[in-house]
Amino acid sequence: MSKVFFSTWRGEAINNSKVDVEKWEESAYNLPQQYNEHSSSKAFIGWDGVALFQEDVDVVRLATEYAAQYQVYSEACGRCAPGRWGGRILYDLLDKIARGEGDRADMDHLKEVGRNMQLTSKCEIGKTVPTPLLDLMEHFEDAFIDCIDNKKASKDYQADINYIAKITAPCTDACPAHVDIPGYIEGVRDLRFDDSLRATRQTMPLAHVCGRVCPHPCEDECRRTNLDSPISIMELKRLGADYETDHGFGFFHPAEKKPDNGKKVAIVGAGPAGLTTAYYLALDGVQCDVYEELAVLGGEVAVGVPEYRMPVDKYNQDIQSVKDLGVNFIVNTKVTADMLRQFEKDYDAIMLGFGTRLSKKVRCGNERPEVQGYWGAIDFLDKVNLYEKYGYKVDEETQKQQMLPTDFVDLTGKIVACVGGGFTSMDVVRCSIRAGAKKVIMIYRRDEKTIIRNTTYEEYHEAVEEGVEFIFHSAVNEMKDENDVLKSLDIDKFELVPDPNGGRPQLVKIEGATFNQEVDYLIPAVSQAANLDLLPEEWELEMTSWATLLTNGTDYMTSRKGVFATGDCEYGPMTIVNAVGQAKRAASVMTRYLQTGEITLSDDEIMEDHLRKMKVYDKKEKVTGWLPGLLRQESEKLDVDVRKDNNKEVNLGFTQEEALSEADRCMRCYYIAMVAM
Amino acid sequence: MSKINITNFTIDGRSVTANHGETILNVARREGIYIPTMCYIEKTTPCASCRLCSVEAVGVDGFVLSCNTPPTEGIEIVTNSDSLQTERTNIMKLYDVNHPLECGVCDKSGECDLQNKTLEFDVSQQNFTARDQERSIENWGLINYNPSLCILCEKCTHVCNEVIGDDAIDLQFGGYKSKVVPKDSDILDCTFCGECIAVCPVGALVSSEFQYSANAWELSKIPATCAHCSAGCSLEYEVKTVGAATAGQSEIMRVTNNFEFTSLCGAGRFGFDFDKRDVKDVNEFNKAIEKFKSANAIKFTSMVTNEEAMILNALKEKLGLKLFNEEARNYQKFMRAYSKVSGKLHHSATLDAVKQSDAAIVIGSRISTDNPGVRYALTTASRHNGAKVIYLHPMEDALMQNVVTQMIRYEVGTEEGVLALIAKALLTEADLDETSQNFLNSLDDGYLCAESNVGEEELEMIQKSLRRTKNRVIILGNDVINHDRAENIARIAALIEEYTDFSLLIVPSEVNTLGVSLICDLDEETSVNSVVGYNAKADYTVASFGEADLNVAALNQQEGTFVSVDNQVLPTNVAIAYEGYTLNEIAGALGVEAEYSIDYTPQLPQTSGFKATAFDDLENFLTHDGKDVRGYILDNVNREKSVKFEQIADLPEFNGTVIYSSNPVLQFNPYTADAKQLESDISLRGSAQFAAAARIADGDEVEIQTSLSSVIRVFKLDAELKGTVALNPNFDLGLERTLGSYRYEIAKINRVSN
Repeated sequence: MSKVFFSTWRGEAINNSKVDVEKWEESAYNLPQQYNEHSSSKAFIGWDGVALFQEDVDVVRLATEYAAQYQVYSEACGRCAPGRWGGRILYDLLDKIARGEGDRADMDHLKEVGRNMQLTSKCEIGKTVPTPLLDLMEHFEDAFIDCIDNKKASKDYQADINYIAKITAPCTDACPAHVDIPGYIEGVRDLRFDDSLRATRQTMPLAHVCGRVCPHPCEDECRRTNLDSPISIMELKRLGADYETDHGFGFFHPAEKKPDNGKKVAIVGAGPAGLTTAYYLALDGVQCDVYEELAVLGGEVAVGVPEYRMPVDKYNQDIQSVKDLGVNFIVNTKVTADMLRQFEKDYDAIMLGFGTRLSKKVRCGNERPEVQGYWGAIDFLDKVNLYEKYGYKVDEETQKQQMLPTDFVDLTGKIVACVGGGFTSMDVVRCSIRAGAKKVIMIYRRDEKTIIRNTTYEEYHEAVEEGVEFIFHSAVNEMKDENDVLKSLDIDKFELVPDPNGGRPQLVKIEGATFNQEVDYLIPAVSQAANLDLLPEEWELEMTSWATLLTNGTDYMTSRKGVFATGDCEYGPMTIVNAVGQAKRAASVMTRYLQTGEITLSDDEIMEDHLRKMKVYDKKEKVTGWLPGLLRQESEKLDVDVRKDNNKEVNLGFTQEEALSEADRCMRCYYIAMVAM
Repeated sequence: MSKINITNFTIDGRSVTANHGETILNVARREGIYIPTMCYIEKTTPCASCRLCSVEAVGVDGFVLSCNTPPTEGIEIVTNSDSLQTERTNIMKLYDVNHPLECGVCDKSGECDLQNKTLEFDVSQQNFTARDQERSIENWGLINYNPSLCILCEKCTHVCNEVIGDDAIDLQFGGYKSKVVPKDSDILDCTFCGECIAVCPVGALVSSEFQYSANAWELSKIPATCAHCSAGCSLEYEVKTVGAATAGQSEIMRVTNNFEFTSLCGAGRFGFDFDKRDVKDVNEFNKAIEKFKSANAIKFTSMVTNEEAMILNALKEKLGLKLFNEEARNYQKFMRAYSKVSGKLHHSATLDAVKQSDAAIVIGSRISTDNPGVRYALTTASRHNGAKVIYLHPMEDALMQNVVTQMIRYEVGTEEGVLALIAKALLTEADLDETSQNFLNSLDDGYLCAESNVGEEELEMIQKSLRRTKNRVIILGNDVINHDRAENIARIAALIEEYTDFSLLIVPSEVNTLGVSLICDLDEETSVNSVVGYNAKADYTVASFGEADLNVAALNQQEGTFVSVDNQVLPTNVAIAYEGYTLNEIAGALGVEAEYSIDYTPQLPQTSGFKATAFDDLENFLTHDGKDVRGYILDNVNREKSVKFEQIADLPEFNGTVIYSSNPVLQFNPYTADAKQLESDISLRGSAQFAAAARIADGDEVEIQTSLSSVIRVFKLDAELKGTVALNPNFDLGLERTLGSYRYEIAKINRVSN
């Protein structure tokens, strides 16, 4: 809810011109009235209308400036005839009127050109830029006519007003890393795969990874959904990445690396957050040392996500792109409190990106880690992936504790139960299948719909195909062991009981339904926690209530100056793209901090956050100008019999033909939003 | 996954069907239904910038873009309506905003899309405008660019990237200020194919040489076939009669092509002025006749038409001479060995098959300069089909980097072993006949890998990258055709073609090697006295280039046919009349009589697949939807099979400094060497490693001594090259050019001291 003088935003028609300020009707939308803690805005204008927060806004100048922003934007485009020339004419004519040199015919031309752009432009930006301009010309015609008839400049034509604009798109807004999705899809469509990859890498260095294992929240806010079905956004990212890898061109970075600026940053953890921080800092000329506890780089994507989902040779390409910028990696080095104290002296800033690598307990009876067959998901996946991807053998201690017959994870003939419901648990059960287990059970408290929502349809479906048995509405009551060797589990069954008051249904245990299941392993994958031992106590870093590092979620600095945190150790266990998005933002904040010592957000970032709060995607919008019913392409998946006993990549990705068809479905829903200050 | 392959829908009430992958515009054009466009070009992905091709779909709000939208089942498309007409007219008004009114001095006038569409939509006046901008004309060598005239349709950038592969120009986005710029560079660094000029719908990109030299309507177009390589590109010589005083004297002003569907390289486009001017010198003619009569042999090159080849063969028979052409004879030998295993006379692939492919293996050719037509086909396959291109050659080629997905550098001379290893990798699961299986079993992989330097992992990677591919082609070039072990290589190639789904393309080096090899009964070249050369140096030389004793007509001055790499018999025509003598006249004086050379066209040997079609009955155009109906395709000819292989010979070693006979971009032969627009770089180009091994430096004048010859060249250091093989051109050697030997030679390089 925002207090407005006037609004046509998203079809609302609020005009408080004859109403007392106290009685102003409010806008239903969360508009950026308060720009930041220091300043408020006069007006907001965008693809779907215009809102004035004050009575005395110079609407002629506002319209002119918005058209001018389109000219600035089109510095990066201008790819269609109506947008390129129409946009210029809009600006020239509006400015002519605002200068006091217009005539009434200009209003007609503006309307004519505006309508032509709305109907025929290539992308939404050309189609929508005229929308608020025509709104202003309609509702404030007097102001325009006044300038024209009296040959006078608009009242604030010379005034010092700050206009801040931002380009966005529904998908870009929804992506935690705010990837320029229409940009990289356009690269595919134009067969300019280098451009495609550069567009991705502006905010997302891990193109191979996020072309494969991203849960793609962008696709939930793809505007094409309103017409038929969302674009297969994630997979189209692979084309640029594969092009670079296949042709040995070196790396298509989004900008040239700046010369060394003498600043140094220590980064703890070489996972997605650490890699991303290093990538953007290095591009900016900052020297980065990344400390990694394990022998291999990549964090959970390397040792958590299995080979069949994320081939390590592809991930290594992403990592290589970071190395290519001169980032220094120090592996096999577990950072300690003493080291952190020293880092504070040796470096100009510190990024903590050490993730959450402690498997939480399932909270059942007799849950004792010393029981053989009780094996935390993180350690289990570490052992599987370190062997399968890098050839590291399982150490003898683990072999003994987990009763392995050999030096890799061989579960032949074993029964494995996993408790979970997220991506990690899916990785556990599918790796267990591949390790030869004779029976694999997923024990999950909620239902099928929820597990799909928490992971993806493909992930669940593929696990079922491979033979994983899902027991829904269930939980482990107690581990049964003999001489500290796990033998079986008592499993409770639950049912959903609707709340008579209309609240969320409650899970209620079904008495008498508890059963015993023989198992050899119980692998808890319910959640992970951060290991905070490395933090110097005297730093007294503030924590969230779920025991992760606290930041304000926009600049990612912890309570200690110069110490930043991103990724799972800040947010709790979350997606790769979330870690990348946080780290990209943090790197930007850090580059300014390293120069000025101040923590600031750029206007672009402030607008980014405002837009996310408003949400760019409007699922109720009716899409016009596109033919509905063009099917979303589905890439080929390896047959279950061919894949379930090995690590071959399951999703083969699009063929070129499929990719191009899919890219052609993209509607390029770029929009311009602008705030007047 | 099953795909719906046919979509039924209507356009303007007419029931039509779309095949898988076709857009609304594709179907409309195929059906002859007109939808206006400014930016659409058939051979690239849609630029989608002009928006003129918007149409209405019944039941759908707003306009739908027809160029990049496939139809849905049952949809009713309307291509014209009042509102479409209004908005298209509005778009044309925008196109005309500030477009300079200088049609009177614009090269494109008379054939300009903007002119045409402005007329079509009746934009006779402009009632709004935008602020004009200051822009300067840029000169990029053979190409001039005028940003004021540019309508930013993006056709040029699309073809450069998607069809040619240079990817040398880019749209610099700047809204109203947008313009075309050299990509990532201050100057245009490209192969100067001129494709951008061809596709430019207005006068923004023009040939700097042609500019202001003629009006479009003054030129007569002579349909012909390019005379520079074996790709058989279709082109039109555009000829202007120069001045009334010398009536009938004319000049080729430029070359154009049907750019909507075909492409040309820069040699084809800019290297057209190789016509020979001469008058009839009776004395020299009589002398020539005597020389032929007393000759023991005729030596010739494949820069001849089929009809000339036929005449030469007839002279051989008539006069009892030997006929020498080692280059064509090598090709002949190669193909005969191939036929023994395949049972067919002709290889199976075409350039079109390369364009359609999603996997290609190239062996033994520096294909980007040997045959740009193949390069462009590979570029198309790479971009449009994501083709895996495996390129095996001792030297990297920077021009191919954005196409090649796997580069395998083998040791010079080891082509036989390399192809054997490839055959083994491709035939692991084939059900071979016993002879072939025994041959593969007998291969000593360890030895072959070690000596050729092709690793097992590289072979595994080939198998891996071929995994999902369906349309595969293997391309063999000059270095295997002219190899000592060519015949066994041909057998192995035939084996691959026979037992895999790979089709096979064999790329001959000269414009009509293929035709000559199918027509002439060639003799092994031996040292004999009294040899007459035809387009080749001999005791007495008759030629259309260089310092000949008797001049004859060049290939752009003759009627006749060539056989292209597609096994297609292609007609070519006289662009400039030749006033001197022709081979047919010489033959006539020697008792081999025909009124015109083209009288031989229907007599070309049907045993080789030629048809008894008269020259005047051969078509020479592309249909409106791009179907190539030029000439005809050679008939299939079956040959008797006799599958036998030789053991792989010991792989040779080429130690020390090696030179590779390979011409720079745009250069092929004495014709291109004569063309005044084509850059003529005759330096020896090598890597720093080569320079170190030869103890020479950039800019040194060096003597290159091989077992056969010695030549002096300037050495140029080329940062794009690696290794100890250097590129040595031969296009500039005129009649002295040696053809028909393996292109790598060990050479002694000595700095020439002044």
